[in-house]
Amino acid sequence: MTMRQETTHVPDFTLDQVDADGAIRETLDVVNGDTRAQFLAKAGIFGGGAFGGAALLGLTAEGAAAATAKSDVAILNFALTLEYLEAAFYTEAEQMLGADGELALFIRVVAAHERAHVSALKKVLGRKAVKKPKFNFRGTTESESKFRATAQVLEDTGVKAYKGQAPRIKSNAILNAALAIHAVEARHAAWIRDLNGTAPAPTAFDKPLSKSAVLAAVSKTKFIVPAQAPRRRTRRRSTAPRFTG
Amino acid sequence: MRAGEPGSEPAPFTLSKPGSLSRWAFIERATVARSQPGRGRRLARLSTRTPEGTHGLVMVLARVEVRDSLWVQVRLPVLPNNTTGWVRRERLGPYHAVRTHLIVDTRKRTARLLRRGHTVFRARVGVGQPRWPTPRGEFFVRNRLRGFSDPIYGPLAFGTSARSAVLTDWPGGGFIGIHGTNQPTLIPGRVSHGCIRMRNAEILRLDREMPIGTPLTVR
Repeated sequence: MTMRQETTHVPDFTLDQVDADGAIRETLDVVNGDTRAQFLAKAGIFGGGAFGGAALLGLTAEGAAAATAKSDVAILNFALTLEYLEAAFYTEAEQMLGADGELALFIRVVAAHERAHVSALKKVLGRKAVKKPKFNFRGTTESESKFRATAQVLEDTGVKAYKGQAPRIKSNAILNAALAIHAVEARHAAWIRDLNGTAPAPTAFDKPLSKSAVLAAVSKTKFIVPAQAPRRRTRRRSTAPRFTG
Repeated sequence: MRAGEPGSEPAPFTLSKPGSLSRWAFIERATVARSQPGRGRRLARLSTRTPEGTHGLVMVLARVEVRDSLWVQVRLPVLPNNTTGWVRRERLGPYHAVRTHLIVDTRKRTARLLRRGHTVFRARVGVGQPRWPTPRGEFFVRNRLRGFSDPIYGPLAFGTSARSAVLTDWPGGGFIGIHGTNQPTLIPGRVSHGCIRMRNAEILRLDREMPIGTPLTVR
């Protein structure tokens, strides 16, 4: 990779822009219940990618979560939700963006990683795995400039947020998996930053993200479609259609 | 200026290839379809509701980014039939994919549904009488209706984006449906005002195979 000046503008996201649908907050409530505030204060809520490698680290047994601390199960499930998002984001970009060159390679490789993370987490969680949410990527998988900016934010956020998540993990095996995946997420972040013309490793030390900063990175996109979205009518009863017959 | 030359607009990215994979999207906000992305004359106004009261949808054909704005080429439910236009991406919801394709042959009076290129449904149909012909061209299935009392449509009807070119003052705009019938003995034949009629058992069988958004080719 080549070093470049930071020339690509990546928008700063704000909290209010992020979780307009409340989907992320709802997920957090489910995950952490009354400890949500504490969790958010420390957590990498976008550290989903940090746990996807569990399958490679001795956590492959289906339903292994049965023997895992409740809090770790919650963390894994939250990680799974976010891995679903990342995997869907990159998979859709694979199909929709029409990228070429190194960007296409980045998308293909990272999509495969994120799908592997989803697969591993589902295997570990077994029946305790949360269901895949519905997503609307709002054009970010169709515009190269929007995709680049969004991917960088997602990867940067995942890497930084991990620092807050790690201390809460009780299982050494899960922590080891988290450490391994954290490194992979950092590589994703460096890769997309390089592709975007920004410094791949801008600082010697990463700082954890605050609650608001993490929420901002996730929710700005409004990618997760609320489950209670109004049903679209595709039929009507009682009145006959007025087709030509 | 040609595509690919410096300063030229990027080539559209294909979103649908009927027969393999096609995409459609709900119209989230009413919008105007234009003859070119980002500019051009107004071709049609697209509503979030169909005349039947269902949520409006369009088949999406291609996408292009013009001056940081995404535009999507869509097939329009307007006359003249086969019209396409460009709408802003943000006016549409997420894409939905279908791998089905319904082909109606008005000469042979047959309907054939393909999934991933393989025929999964075949039926004889009634089509428009010579004075009210079933329009030919490329269309899409935009809604599915059932539970109505009028027996002439049978138990179920699909609405399409096709419109009669002659019955322009028909209530609701003269849209062509694919539906059942209370006169099954007339099928196959040139018997309708333009709609595509099937025997009731067959429209119910088609219902099990064909999702909304399916592209429709009438030959």
